Amino acid sequence: MSEQKYADDVLGSSFKKIELMLQADYGISKHSIGSLLLQGDDEIISLVKLKDPENFSKIMEAVNFAKSSYNDPLSYIIAIQNQGKANYIIERAMEYGPSKGISYREKISKVMIDPLTGIPIMLLVLYYGIYKFVGDFGAGVLVNFIENGIFIKYINPLVIKIFIKIIPWEVLRSLFTGEYGIITLGVRYAVALIFPIVTTFFIAFAVIEDSGYLPRLALLIDRLFKKIGLSGRAVIPMVLGLGCDTMATMVTRTLPTKRERLIATILLALAVPCSAQLGVILSLLEGNPKGLWVWVGVITLVFVFVGFVSSKILPGEGPSFYMEVPPLRLPKLSNVFLKTWTRVKWYFIEILPVFILVSVFIWIGQLTGIFNFLTMLLTYPIRWIGLPDKTAVAFLFGFFRRDYGAGGLYDIKKAGLFTGNQLVVACITLTLFLPCVAQFLMNIKERGWRAAVGISVFVLFFSFSVGYLVNLAFNTFGINL
Amino acid sequence: MKLNERAEEILETLWVNNEKSPGEWMDLGLAKDNPEIDELLKLGYIKLINNRLSLSDKGMIEGRKIIRRHRLAERLFTDVLDIKEKLVHPVSCQFEHLLQEGIEDDICVLLGHPKTCPHGKSIPPGECCRKSQKDIKKIISVLSEMDVNQKGKVAYIYTKDNPTLQKVMAMGVLPGMAINLVQKYPSYVFQVGQSQFAVDKEIASVIYVRITK
Amino acid sequence: MNILEKLINILKPDKACSSCPQAKFGACQKLAASLEGIKKIAVVGSPNVGKSMTFNCLTGAYANVSNYPGTTVEVFRGKTILNGEEFEIIDTPGMYSLMPISEEERVARNILLNEKPIIVLHVVDAKNLERMLPFTLQLIEAGLPVILVLNIMDEAERLGIKINIEAMQHELKVPVVATVSARGEGIDILKGKMEEYVRTKICG
Ligand SMILES: Nc1nc2c(ncn2[C@@H]2O[C@H](COP(=O)(O)OP(=O)(O)OP(=O)(O)O)[C@@H](O)[C@H]2O)c(=O)[nH]1
Ligand SMILES: [Mg+2]
Ligand SMILES: [Zn+2]
Ligand SMILES: [Zn+2]
Ligand SMILES: [Zn+2]
Repeated sequence: MSEQKYADDVLGSSFKKIELMLQADYGISKHSIGSLLLQGDDEIISLVKLKDPENFSKIMEAVNFAKSSYNDPLSYIIAIQNQGKANYIIERAMEYGPSKGISYREKISKVMIDPLTGIPIMLLVLYYGIYKFVGDFGAGVLVNFIENGIFIKYINPLVIKIFIKIIPWEVLRSLFTGEYGIITLGVRYAVALIFPIVTTFFIAFAVIEDSGYLPRLALLIDRLFKKIGLSGRAVIPMVLGLGCDTMATMVTRTLPTKRERLIATILLALAVPCSAQLGVILSLLEGNPKGLWVWVGVITLVFVFVGFVSSKILPGEGPSFYMEVPPLRLPKLSNVFLKTWTRVKWYFIEILPVFILVSVFIWIGQLTGIFNFLTMLLTYPIRWIGLPDKTAVAFLFGFFRRDYGAGGLYDIKKAGLFTGNQLVVACITLTLFLPCVAQFLMNIKERGWRAAVGISVFVLFFSFSVGYLVNLAFNTFGINL
Repeated sequence: MKLNERAEEILETLWVNNEKSPGEWMDLGLAKDNPEIDELLKLGYIKLINNRLSLSDKGMIEGRKIIRRHRLAERLFTDVLDIKEKLVHPVSCQFEHLLQEGIEDDICVLLGHPKTCPHGKSIPPGECCRKSQKDIKKIISVLSEMDVNQKGKVAYIYTKDNPTLQKVMAMGVLPGMAINLVQKYPSYVFQVGQSQFAVDKEIASVIYVRITK
Repeated sequence: MNILEKLINILKPDKACSSCPQAKFGACQKLAASLEGIKKIAVVGSPNVGKSMTFNCLTGAYANVSNYPGTTVEVFRGKTILNGEEFEIIDTPGMYSLMPISEEERVARNILLNEKPIIVLHVVDAKNLERMLPFTLQLIEAGLPVILVLNIMDEAERLGIKINIEAMQHELKVPVVATVSARGEGIDILKGKMEEYVRTKICG
């Protein structure tokens, strides 16, 4: 008791001493700054060093004296004191009456987090949410309708007719309506291909987000993610990456250590396809279920392998997992709608200029012969992984955006230029292929120049190597898909 | 009335023999003229018929106490003082006589009411052990070792790792909070107040809970 | 708040920033600069308590709202009118205490340290008041102009929790408001308290 009293006095008097020595303006009270110093906040310590240089050493002396007077860390002691004050108020202002119960929500939650039932539920969510809704409905039905039902039937002929009238020069006209024209290629890709896929994905994702399913998925998967140097918390950026890797890279901020953020960024750049890419690939491999399984298998393997290796190579401690699990809530229609709308709009603002720019580049490239030169250069690695020369164009697109590249494959497949094996190899390589320009910029912003460039170079080589190996395996074992 | 060392040893031997083969009378043999035998007879600890010895009910109780002290001493030496196994028995034999009544219960509590001695023989339970059986629900357990659906109050957080402590405090897990374990696998899920948290084993093993139910 | 109004707000060119999830590419910086000198109101609190939802109600903009902790990872700015004057409202990433653990918590704390908000709305989950009140106390202790917002009152009521607002105000000596921001309930009361606060703090 007397010891406790003494200890309280030490903390109290340390507070007073430190407050007196703090002279500068910190935006918050000196007591709070003192409290943060006592709790060992590095950022505040450097701030005080900067703003109160004369008293700094004396202040730290007082801090260290206070620390040495206690067995437990001061943050723990201060937190307990604070909680005591809070409880005092709670007792006076809060009452527990009989609850109406939310037991059915609790029951559903329990079913979701029990591995026996939770894993089947996860597979169902993937199957219906991604495969059926995004793959079949978005990338299949909707794309078909907009592409064949609207663009090919009405818009393209109309646009071509109009442009023939207003632009008499064939060369200039091809900028808009040629094989790689702004409208016939850029706008068509954006509106007919990317738009329906991205929209359906974001709808599915918004529903999943608002229900509170993601934290439950995180706790189910934590043990597996630990093996690749991540914690369950990383499930959220990874799943978000299936929507757009750029957004997801920003969300890696919620991961507590630098090491986890770096591993997550690498995996997002390499092995997590974004929705547009995913959708196009699902529709490319439609009617080739074995090919789809090979694709899923190889991408998963790469994900696990690269994660595992980086967790072994990168220095630093392993991650620890803690996460609040919010109650399950019924998604609100208005929120799902607004969220999807904002995201789709953002996505469009981001891709449309790029798509148009690509058409312009290609147009200039064709005029100057650079386009042919670059495609010719690309045919070497393309042949190396056993793909037809024409695929080089899709990969050239892929340098701008992965989803655009996937779109390129879509046209080649439509033209019937792929064998089953080639299609699978192309899908795998392009899934792993370079992060898109926006993601690259985000990587620079979040991880710095060196890491961003390093990741891109690694990804470029790695994607072709995997493509090569898969092709080799097909040939060696005589597999025909 | 305190028995001397030699007399205690005789009771001990008889009790152990009775533990091995209950009801058997032991040959008096060489101990025939021992003054302690007379003393024990006089005090009613043992019975002597046809040169064969057996414990009386009173002797049973006393012998049991001596054995308990002996085996607890053995536990103490191996678990706490880390004395080599070979030396344990002789040392404890000396020690058991020094242990006063009542102190052995303190040692028993200290050692967590051990059930057996280092040689695998059972330690007769004392009053303290019976009490602890009743109180077992009230003891403190680390969160990672609680049973699913067990409830309690956070007793304390114990860790040398500051980041872990920060995370636990961020979740608002502090002494006195009501806590309840919802699930153990694949992650630990617990409820504090009205919110649920999922943590890994590392974090679950720094939260100590005073079990209430 | 009706959806149409929100949509109109989003479509307005000068609101482009508040609706783009990437607050740093160009437009947003411009908006932030134009808002220099404007008085600021910070929305802070633990993760997943409805800060962004409350922000949306107050500004009519759309900041992402999802049911998991860590939805908001960057500060997000919007505007509201109090007493006929325009104020900037800042939505922040969730933080558990003034001691940051992760990067986005640091971002949130920096708002409090550097932007001199004239009101700090501390949004809490009413059913978890016991766990969240220590942070309110920390904010008050830091000398910040706190209004305590007891959000998600609907779930608290369903659990049979009753909170005496008057008693809370008396104990804390700061304004306290109960809201259900998911349904827009209590937002007008919150606005009223904010206006009152501004009047007494600045003019009075
Ligand atoms: N029932 C109910 N749910 C609410 C209320 N306010 C917010 N929510 C829900 O709480 C969840 C979190 O809301 P957000 O606004 O994203 O919370 P936040 O505090 O911004 O969260 P972070 O950005 O992650 O820190 C969403 O699912 C909301 O629908 C409310 O008053 N009642
Ligand atoms: Mg938010
Ligand atoms: Zn993307
Ligand atoms: Zn023994
Ligand atoms: Zn005992």
